[in-house]
This record gives sequence, structure tokens and C-alpha cells, in this order.
Amino acid sequence: MFIHVFIYRFKCLIRDRQMVFWTLLFPLLLATFFYMAFINLNSDETFRPIHAGVISNAAYQQDQSFRSVLTDVSKGEDRLFNLKVASSKEKADQWLKSNRIQGYYFISGKELHLTVKGSGMDQSIMKSFADQYRHDHIAVEDILQTNPLALNHGLMADVSNHQSFVKETSGGSAEPNNILNYFYSLIAMACLYGSFWGMKEIIDIQADLSDRAARINVAPIHKLNAFLAGSCAALVILFTEILILLAYLHFGLKINFGNRAGYVLLTAFIGSVLGLSFGAFVSAAVKKGEGVKTAILMAVSMGGSFLSGMMVMNMKYLVAEYVPLLAWINPVNLLTDAFYSLYYYDSLQRYALNMGMMCAFIVLFCAGTYQIVRRWNYASL
Amino acid sequence: MIIQVKNLVKRYGDLVALDHLSFNVKEGEIVGLLGPNGSGKSTAIHCILSLLKYDKGDIEIFGKKMTPDAYDVKRDIGLVMQNVAVFDELTVYENINYFCGLYVRDRAERKRLVDEAIAFVELEAFKKFYPKKLSGGLLRRLNIACGIAHKPKLIILDEPTVAVDPQSRNKILEGIEHLNAQGATIVYTSHYMEEVEQICSRIVIIDKGRVIASGTKEELKAMITLGEKITVEVFTIEEDQLRVLREQPGIMSVDYVSKQLIIKSDKGNNNLEIVLEFLKANHIGFGRIYSELPTLNDVFLEITGKQLRD
Ligand SMILES: Nc1ncnc2c1ncn2[C@@H]1O[C@H](COP(=O)(O)OP(=O)(O)O)[C@@H](O)[C@H]1O
Ligand SMILES: [Mg+2]
Repeated sequence: MFIHVFIYRFKCLIRDRQMVFWTLLFPLLLATFFYMAFINLNSDETFRPIHAGVISNAAYQQDQSFRSVLTDVSKGEDRLFNLKVASSKEKADQWLKSNRIQGYYFISGKELHLTVKGSGMDQSIMKSFADQYRHDHIAVEDILQTNPLALNHGLMADVSNHQSFVKETSGGSAEPNNILNYFYSLIAMACLYGSFWGMKEIIDIQADLSDRAARINVAPIHKLNAFLAGSCAALVILFTEILILLAYLHFGLKINFGNRAGYVLLTAFIGSVLGLSFGAFVSAAVKKGEGVKTAILMAVSMGGSFLSGMMVMNMKYLVAEYVPLLAWINPVNLLTDAFYSLYYYDSLQRYALNMGMMCAFIVLFCAGTYQIVRRWNYASL
Repeated sequence: MIIQVKNLVKRYGDLVALDHLSFNVKEGEIVGLLGPNGSGKSTAIHCILSLLKYDKGDIEIFGKKMTPDAYDVKRDIGLVMQNVAVFDELTVYENINYFCGLYVRDRAERKRLVDEAIAFVELEAFKKFYPKKLSGGLLRRLNIACGIAHKPKLIILDEPTVAVDPQSRNKILEGIEHLNAQGATIVYTSHYMEEVEQICSRIVIIDKGRVIASGTKEELKAMITLGEKITVEVFTIEEDQLRVLREQPGIMSVDYVSKQLIIKSDKGNNNLEIVLEFLKANHIGFGRIYSELPTLNDVFLEITGKQLRD
């Protein structure tokens, strides 16, 4: 009986094209896009300084702090800007027009202004530099008003240390292991997308969720057995999908997972179980329609991926620093971090901690699902 | 006794869906549960099968108390649900095979049963089709095949003909009689009185979760006072004449609408004669004339004061 249900559940799941798309093809496509994006960024080996201009008017000469910050980030090997100082606005406009600079800053009154041509990575970096400066500048003024002595304690040095920040958000200077994190969280996202398989299993076993399930419920079989058989089929499919994704990343895109293949596979397996049990638990516990269930699973998978740095690398650090609890309960982050620490640290301590948290989640989800699925009859269909 | 339901009460919040419902089904019967939409037929079926929790009552099937884990009871029951319940990802053959496999382990035996079920619902040409590709009528037939392939002793069909074309409907009804002839006991729910009248050996009429009458169709019709409905095409008739006609012996009611004189009479033998003589005596010209026996709708109407179908 177990085998019978397993085989037929397997057929049902594998033939669900929409699900196969979201759980297999979508991550593969995303991986390819990531790869292409990073290949382009990496083609220049290192970060290329941006040709930026500044208008040297009276206000600029007076604004010592801006001047020093700007010249600071425009010198040295890994400088942010190739700074060109224009004597007038006309001059700067002329440079801009002839593409000799990407944009220019100018000070009027106490305000910092930025003019750029077109849009692109360089322009956004220039803008985020300006934003950051304005932001810090206000902060500095505030601090100086309340605590004038701060200046003596290296405040300016702190504030002018923009370079690394701006360059990192750009993604352009990302070190190889930073790029890895994008792929790690992509794998984690794929595992969490496996929650849709869990949802399908629940819908097809709970008679109050589908009529098909009612048929199973009136048959002379043990409901939990049938559910277990179906879940095994779902796990086999999900784990295979994750293996395909890993193989594509490793052999196709040459993404480095370090030398711990066994641990990587173990992590992928635990990740699959986590995704599946999460989907099953949410679908069983949330007494709403399929649309709501899907929305929740989607929000957690995508939101979790975002917070673990799949779109913006810095997110992961920001969360870890300011909302550490969120990092510890975000299943996507646990998975990402497990992969990351496998690659990055020799000690397995942090890896073990992540795996432990995931296992705790799995136990929680499975126990919750069991409590709901083991009930035989329903208050309403 | 195949099914015995005693004082079944089921509430959905404040709504009492089943109100001390009692009925039973004997071996070899085709019992029809007849009632308008929302009268509680599906709810009753789901309670009987232990799909739904109920507030009160006793349910026995094959003489045993029905519980969710009564596998030996469940093994001999086949259910055809009101909504088509099949897997879109499985073909016609696979669907039937899957459900049959939940009852029958032996593969050779199962293959034989599945082929038989497919032949029974005449879906041989569609074995490899996915449900999405089937028309409504064929889908209904697949739904039935999934419920009966394992040759159950008791088959419960919940409105299996809803939204089905007349041809498929007749096929389905014939099929049910055929299953019954082969020895299966049948419970059939419907809000179509014609169907129930056509195939059921006994009828339980349900309204608002209560049994309001039960018996063979003859018994049910004998229960009410209406004996005959006479319709006469009459071109003109005076108010006075209508009043006199109403006072004739055996006549229960007289209505005159759009040139049709509709006369309801009691169970006397010569009602038609009385009407004809009255028309002739009063020199009232008339055209076509016909007489009908009461239907289950009349039974329902007389007991509840409303039409079976809204
Ligand atoms: N899940 C439910 N929740 C609340 N009320 C319900 C539910 N299912 C059915 N009902 C109500 O119970 C009554 C009986 O419904 P049902 O058994 O489906 O009737 P039938 O099958 O005879 O059309 C109806 O009034 C219906 O609105
Ligand atoms: Mg119904």
C-alpha cells in the first residue's frame, strides 16, 4: 500500500508542470541570471574608479568637510572616483556632455547637489555617495551641537570612511566569496520553494481541503501512512531538484562549494526536509484557501531570501547586526549561512549551530503537522 | 441492515444541518435521499462515512459501529462524491487504478477490476486521457468509476448526475440499476424527483435536516390527499361557474390561468367524469384534456408547503 501511494503521488507531483517550474526551472534560471550579472561585473577584475566631477565654487571651497571627504575617496589604488575639478558649471556640463565624466557634484548654499547623465551603476554609486554624505553630515552637525568634543575623538575619520560602504553596495568590488553568498541563498530559496510540494501533499490528504482527499479518507488505509508515502515522494522529488541545481552550479557555472561535498549534500538534504515540512505545516495550520497558503509560503521564501542577501548582499549583514533574532529564525538565512560557513570556516561550529536550528524547526513543523493530520474526521468539509 | 442512522444531529455553528435524522437501508435496496439543495443530504452522507464529526446520533454500517478506523467496514463501501474528485495529473486509467489500489492489493485482480470499471462507464476510448480533456459527462463517469471499481457491497452516490447531459444521465441511471442487480446496495441522493422515482426502490424525503416522509413512491403518494391533477383547455369560463365547480364532490382546488383549467381532486375514482359532466352541463367549450397522477413534488409540496425545486 505504501509503495502504491508513493508511486502514484510521485506521478501526481512530477507531472505538475507549474510546480516543477517554480521549484526547479525558476532557480536554475535565476542562477543563470546571477551568473551572467556577476560575470560582467567581474570582467574588470577590480573596481573601476568612476569619472566624477565637482564644481569648485566658493561654497565648495568653504565646505571643508565635503572637500576632504571627496578628495579622500579619490586617491589611492582602490579609489572610488577619478575626480576632475571644474572651474565653472559650464565647464562641468561640457564634460558631462562629452562623456568625460559620469556626473558632477556641486555645493550651493549648504546643500550638496548631484547632476548625472543617464542611469547606470556609476550613476547610482555617485548618488548613494551623495545620500550617504548628506545623511552623515546631518548626523555630524547634530553631534557637534550636543558634543563639540566629538571632533577630537575621530568623528571625522569615521564619517569619511565611506569608500568601502559605497563600493560594497554596488556589488562591483565584491570578493569571490561574497558572490558565493548570492548562490547559497539561491539554493536556500529553492529548498524553501519545496514548501509548495508540502502544501500539495497536505491538500491531497486533508478531506476539508479537497474532495480527492476525502476519497483517501474513506478508503480502508491508515491516513498517516498515506501521508508519509506522499511526503516521501515529495522529498525524493525536491531533493533531486536541489541536487540538479547544485550540479548545475558546481559543474555548469563552476561555483565553488569548497571541499566538503558530503556536508554540502547533507545540508541540501536537511534544507529539502525543512522546506517540505515548513510547507506542510503552514498549509495544515492556516485554515484559509490555497491562495492564502501560497502567498504565505511565497512571502516567507522570497522575504527570507531577501533578508539573507539574495538580492542585496549587505542585507545579510545588516540583519545579523541589527536584528540577530531574525537571522536565527529565518530558515533561508540558516541554510545560506550553513553553506557559507562550510566554505568559509575550517571549524564546523557555526555550521553545526545552523544545522541544529534547522533540525529544531523541522521537529517543530513535523510535530505540528502530525497533530493536525492525525485527526481523522472534520468539523466541516 | 446495511445502514442504520439514528437521531443524527450535526450543527455548523448555529445552523442545525441535521436535526435528529433517522433512516435505514436494507440489503439490496436502492434508497433515494431526496431533498432540495441545502437540505442536508451531503452532510448526512459525510457523517455516515465518518468524514464529518457530528454532535449526536448512532451510525451503524453492516451492523457495526462506524468509526474513522473501521477498515473492515470501509473496505466494502464505495463513495461517489457530489464534486468530481480525481487527480488532474493522472490519466483516466491511472486515476481508477490509484483509488482501486487503496482497496485491492493484488495487481492482477486490480487490473481486472479497473478494466471492468472502465468498460462499465464506457470510457475505453479515453483510458489515456487526462481529466482536463474530458467533457462534463465523461468526467462524471470517471468520477463514478473511481468510486466503484473495487466492487463494494454498499455504494453511496451523492448527486452523481448534477450538470450532466440527458444522455450521460440515462447511462448513469442505468448503470446504477445494473450495479444493484449485481448485488450492490445503493444509496442515491438527488434533488431531481424524476431520477429518484425512476430508480429507487425506497425514497427518504429530507427537508431542513429532517426526514419528512419515507417509503416506496406508491406509499408516499398514498400518504397525501391529492389523487389526481386534471388539466383542461378552456377558452372562457365565468367566475360563478368556477365557484360551482369548486363545490363539486371530490374537487380540492380549481385554478384558471392562461386558458388552462387546473383541477386538483382527491383519490376518488370518477373525478374526470365529474369535471366533464360539469363542463357539458354548463355548455363550456373545451379543447385538450389530460389527467396526471401526483408526483413526488406534490408529496413534498403538500407536506412542506413549498416546491421541491426552487
Ligand atoms: N462547511 C459548512 N459550513 C457551514 N455550513 C454548511 C457547511 N456545509 C454545508 N453547510 C450547510 O448545511 C446545510 C446542508 O448542506 P448540504 O448537506 O450540503 O445540503 P445538500 O447536500 O442537501 O444540498 C446547508 O444549509 C448548508 O448551507
Ligand atoms: Mg449536496
